[in-house]
Amino acid sequence: MSFTDADLIARVLLHEDHNAFGELVRRHQSPVRAFLVRMTRGDSHLADDLAQETFLKAWQKLYTFRGTSRFSTWLFGIAFNEFRGAARQRKELALEDMAESPPELAGPSGAAGSNLRLDLTEALKLLNSNERAAVVLCCQNGLSHEEAAQILDCPLGTLKTNVLRGKEKLKRRLSL
Amino acid sequence: MNTPEDTIDALLREQNAYIDDNGFTARVVKSLPRRRRAWLRPTLLLGTVTIGSLLAVWWLPWGNLPPLDPSVLRSMDSQVLMPWVLVISVTASLVWGAISALERRD
Repeated sequence: MSFTDADLIARVLLHEDHNAFGELVRRHQSPVRAFLVRMTRGDSHLADDLAQETFLKAWQKLYTFRGTSRFSTWLFGIAFNEFRGAARQRKELALEDMAESPPELAGPSGAAGSNLRLDLTEALKLLNSNERAAVVLCCQNGLSHEEAAQILDCPLGTLKTNVLRGKEKLKRRLSL
Repeated sequence: MNTPEDTIDALLREQNAYIDDNGFTARVVKSLPRRRRAWLRPTLLLGTVTIGSLLAVWWLPWGNLPPLDPSVLRSMDSQVLMPWVLVISVTASLVWGAISALERRD
């Protein structure tokens, strides 16, 4: 018998059930960790630390989850806040604003097949954090614009602009 | 024919591979602290509001409040205004306490 996320959340809230929470972590760890790996530009150790903090925060604040959005959407929101906090500490956000248009961005790629995939990974690193988050959430994880705007705590119009601008930069970088 | 947007979307989706757990869940579950008791804060606040309300009903001069008319307000007579200020302050505090106890916090 498989429980829904809502069942598991209820068990955690009522009985402080570690096993139920463990099942929630097992179900959602992959997309959350993958998102944070993207956000940290491939630093999987930092991404895992942030993912662990994300789930610990989710455990402590689970009673504030109202169920109006998907549980995964709520988790992505916590994960993005964790990333923002860490980036602020490392002053990365300020630095990346200064490097808004890195020179590599205009360079043609000409690669195909697996090279194209590698190039995409590298090209994503060149986007600023808001564009990267918007592209990864909407295009990679298949979230709606509304869900992504909620996660990133920004207006819908800003989110759409970030997706378009991010994809435009990727296209230019990959010479598509 | 695929547009560049389709290609980028397809590549991104293709890279959305499952990340093996590799002990991640176990590490998280092992480090779970005691959860904050969600009922504690509203219970404390509602208890305080209830006690505050009983004391207010008991102590405040509800029956002897002086009438408030515009001439009294204009005169700013503290003898008349003070009981009203007290009643309004206590009522506002109790209402704020009740709202805080019942609201959900993110």
